[in-house]
Amino acid sequence: MLLEVSDLKVCYGDIHAVEGVSLSIGEGELISVIGANGAGKSSLLNCVMGIVPSRGGKVIFCGRDITSLPVHERAREGIRIVPERARVFPRLTVYENLLAGCFGMKDKISFPEKLSWIYGLFPVLEERKSQLGSTLSGGEQQMLAISRALISDPKLLLVDEVSMGLMPVLVDKVFEVMEMLNREHGLTILLVEQNALASLGISSRSYVLETGKIVLEGASGDLLKDPKVQEAYLGL
Amino acid sequence: MQLFIEQLLNGVAMGAIYSLITLGLALVYGILRILHVAHAAVYTAGAYVGLYVFTLSGSLLLAVPAAMAVCAALGVAVERFVYTPLLRFPPFVPLIGSIAVFLAMEEVFRIVGGPYILSFPAELPFSGITIRGVVVSPAILSIYAVSAAVLLILWFIVTKTGLGLAMRATSQDRDIAGTMGINASFTISMTFVLGSAVAAIAGILVGIYYNQVYPTMGAVPAYKCLALIVVGGLGSLPGAVLASLLLGVGETLLIGYANIPLPRDSLAFIAMIAVLLWRPQGLLGGK
Repeated sequence: MLLEVSDLKVCYGDIHAVEGVSLSIGEGELISVIGANGAGKSSLLNCVMGIVPSRGGKVIFCGRDITSLPVHERAREGIRIVPERARVFPRLTVYENLLAGCFGMKDKISFPEKLSWIYGLFPVLEERKSQLGSTLSGGEQQMLAISRALISDPKLLLVDEVSMGLMPVLVDKVFEVMEMLNREHGLTILLVEQNALASLGISSRSYVLETGKIVLEGASGDLLKDPKVQEAYLGL
Repeated sequence: MQLFIEQLLNGVAMGAIYSLITLGLALVYGILRILHVAHAAVYTAGAYVGLYVFTLSGSLLLAVPAAMAVCAALGVAVERFVYTPLLRFPPFVPLIGSIAVFLAMEEVFRIVGGPYILSFPAELPFSGITIRGVVVSPAILSIYAVSAAVLLILWFIVTKTGLGLAMRATSQDRDIAGTMGINASFTISMTFVLGSAVAAIAGILVGIYYNQVYPTMGAVPAYKCLALIVVGGLGSLPGAVLASLLLGVGETLLIGYANIPLPRDSLAFIAMIAVLLWRPQGLLGGK
């Protein structure tokens, strides 16, 4: 397993956001975690990344216990996140945002090739390469956030609510890119989404998170047919 | 006319020195959102250490790097032992901590250096020049040369190097910078190293320019430079430099040359009030 999370707990003061979640991802898998707003999806992802501290449980990455590693060391192990609402650096240019994305490893990853690959994936970023992050539209910021995470060639990509606030056309485009990255480049992706239909559609397995606990897991195809999932998340 | 030009040159020199001190404050505010009052004590320490090493060795080439090193260590110590533990409290708590450090360090200077004015008898390695009757002293020349070089180096570090990118990324979104492998606490310490080393240079320049080093020499800069980062736009480095230069020239011309009957040190605060009333984001600050 590339990532194994066991009995993970996250609290903010007295509020329990994640209460003992266990999940695992093998290399090359695309897994989704679906759930309603406030179910603890973002807390789970941020805790795996190391932005939010855990209050119990373990995170094992590539066979190594990283539970006590600070965020920047987890990043150097090869984990990257596309954060909720993109969070591009507003006063860095698009190019500088991408440069920050592979901080300290520019020589290791053959930066110019990666850059032209990214610009091929999202041509609009090349057009806007010397614009400040804050001047991009919501969709462009989301593309920049994805690119900023991809450029370092991560082993595991965490994707937090990438469809939120995007036009439907862009949502399709972004999910297509995720699927392509997984199928063609073998990138391991953990997707966290409110958009259950789209994320069940591209993932092989999924977990359903409700008030901080995993209530259901299985092959995404089976979950799509599950009456409880259909009623609660697919609006059928 | 000659007097006017000489005053203008003095004003720019004063402004350049203000900018060397203010840049440290702007860097720290940008990355930690703390008003680093104790920075002025670091600047005073730079003057004392510079004077001490100069007295022992007779060489400014030794005194300046020694003062820069000591001040860098001092700045990092303030960051590690005072600011970092206080960051989880509301912003006024680290501010009070900073004022406490500032006052305590003034007392240390008084105890160690004595409660009087020391002179800084450095002979600069070049003489002044006279152009069409306008006299430019060696002290002014060295202030120009040194501040221009320091500003250029700082600009290069902040905009062109990996450390600068890390500093800017960390100041804009510390957590997200971390998710890219940027070590935020190291980056913050390096910010203090840079700002404090530059403050040491400013302390020595002022010591030589006025031929004075004394325990409370940081008192006026402490508050004036706070006003300056507000005028420039909080956290904006070009704004800090612009505001400093304008103030240096303004003080010298309005009060020294035009003889407006106001205390010289009041101008910075009048400017701050005006900016807060009409342009709260500062001269070059974003909204």
